[in-house]
Amino acid sequence: MSERLIVIGGGGAGTATATLANRLGKDLKVTLFTEFPDIAYSPCGIPFVHGREIEKFEDLFLSTVDRYVEDGLDMRMETAVTDIDLARGTVTARNTHEGFDKLAVCTGWTWEKPDVPGANLAGLHYVKDIRAAMEFDKQLDEMKRVVVFGGTPIGVEMAGNLAHRGLHVDFVDEGPWALSELLDPDVAEPVHESLTKRGATLHFGTRVEAFLGEDRVRAVKTSKGELECDAVIVCLHKVPSTALAEAAGVKTGTTGAIMVDERMRTSAPNVWAAGDAVEVPHGLSMLPIKGLTGSHAYGQGRVAAFNIAGRDLVYDPVWIPWGMVAGDYTIGGFSIGETLATAMGVPYIVAKGVGITRARYYPGAERTTVKLLADPETHKLIGAQIHGGSGVKERADFLGFVAKRGATLEDIAYMENIYSPPIGALFEPLAIAAQNGLAAL
Amino acid sequence: MNGSFKQRLREQSEHYLLQDSVRRLGHGVPGTVEPYDAPEGRAWRLLFVPLYKRLPWGVKQRAMTTLRMTASGWTPPRREPGEPWKPPHRQ
Repeated sequence: MSERLIVIGGGGAGTATATLANRLGKDLKVTLFTEFPDIAYSPCGIPFVHGREIEKFEDLFLSTVDRYVEDGLDMRMETAVTDIDLARGTVTARNTHEGFDKLAVCTGWTWEKPDVPGANLAGLHYVKDIRAAMEFDKQLDEMKRVVVFGGTPIGVEMAGNLAHRGLHVDFVDEGPWALSELLDPDVAEPVHESLTKRGATLHFGTRVEAFLGEDRVRAVKTSKGELECDAVIVCLHKVPSTALAEAAGVKTGTTGAIMVDERMRTSAPNVWAAGDAVEVPHGLSMLPIKGLTGSHAYGQGRVAAFNIAGRDLVYDPVWIPWGMVAGDYTIGGFSIGETLATAMGVPYIVAKGVGITRARYYPGAERTTVKLLADPETHKLIGAQIHGGSGVKERADFLGFVAKRGATLEDIAYMENIYSPPIGALFEPLAIAAQNGLAAL
Repeated sequence: MNGSFKQRLREQSEHYLLQDSVRRLGHGVPGTVEPYDAPEGRAWRLLFVPLYKRLPWGVKQRAMTTLRMTASGWTPPRREPGEPWKPPHRQ
């Protein structure tokens, strides 16, 4: 007898859960509800279209609704689920009750709203939905000055890209440097130089006190004066969208996101959850964290789908390799940096080194700086930050993986590496950093 | 303790510990400025942060486990140095 799976949400986690459960579960009938008209596009690419690095928004689409329908999914586009009744096993959408045997909650996230006067004025823009981005992009053609509010990754990407487009960009954050909740201060200078070179004006250590204007924002009042603007791009924190699940009695955790176990099961029977709506533990501390990346959302959706289909698959605690381009400067790392380690009170030793990304005589060789954090007693890796040059992403991915398996500074110091002049230098930058760290002990 | 209290406790403690950390680590580093000196949160800054900093990491970890701040239903990762890599137990 067939069972019905309802998936709420059409982002990375929702589409992964629906498509994989549909393939794996021979007797599953899968219905996906999304309040939006589009699916299977990359929201992470939106800043780069605004910045004219990517030609058009249509390039961000990876698939079509028709493809999902052809694969046998029941797609309910522009259909918001307004209620979940776990006792009856139904969801409500467009005033109609739809029954389910299994439910996957992949409701994603929303932006933290500024808690200052004027936050409801027109002209405050939040980067998320592609249709809204398309409309905003047309408005940007008529604008001269924008304020980007929030030194988060998306804030850095929007500031760099809008400056690249030729707009006057004021980038405002209370923190003392860009990405100060993630990035260590020794990386601030090259990141700021790159953003400034693109044309952004930086206002760190600055609080936004109000948005000024009659109906539409015309200026931002800050602790250091007023900044005139045609629009404000608000890039504060990601907030998990859990209202629907919470109202149904599904438990949330200390981050405010939905609690799941390693099989992506929630506190309610036959209900799974994945993506930005859930919290998962950090591999170092086992403290739950939220608001990870698209690849994490996809991976969690995959695990949910396997278990929904009756297979057994677990999701590991996360070590969070990350990377991005700030202006034109590449930064990345995994797990925690010194700033977070110090805030948490985690004991650590630092191993630092500077290497090059190709043979020094080969055109295009760049310096890359590596900082490894390790446990003082066992020398096991607990975090890293890498910046400058190519290969930041690959090194961060590698470190995240080997740290999960217990790699130590000694392992990294004497690792094998590729030496090929166009793609790699004789001495691997990670090994240089680890050797320096061990030598300093 | 109910969920919303623990959420609030975590949000506030993380916020003020991070503020203290960036202030200390960023001081005098090229490219950084002084963080915004917020008037709110005096109790957190003057009482909680100094007390938290004095506790050893092991005590902090035990406190977080006792308060059920850590994840449940998850297998902590095995990180044994020298042990060859094995694929996780999966079907």
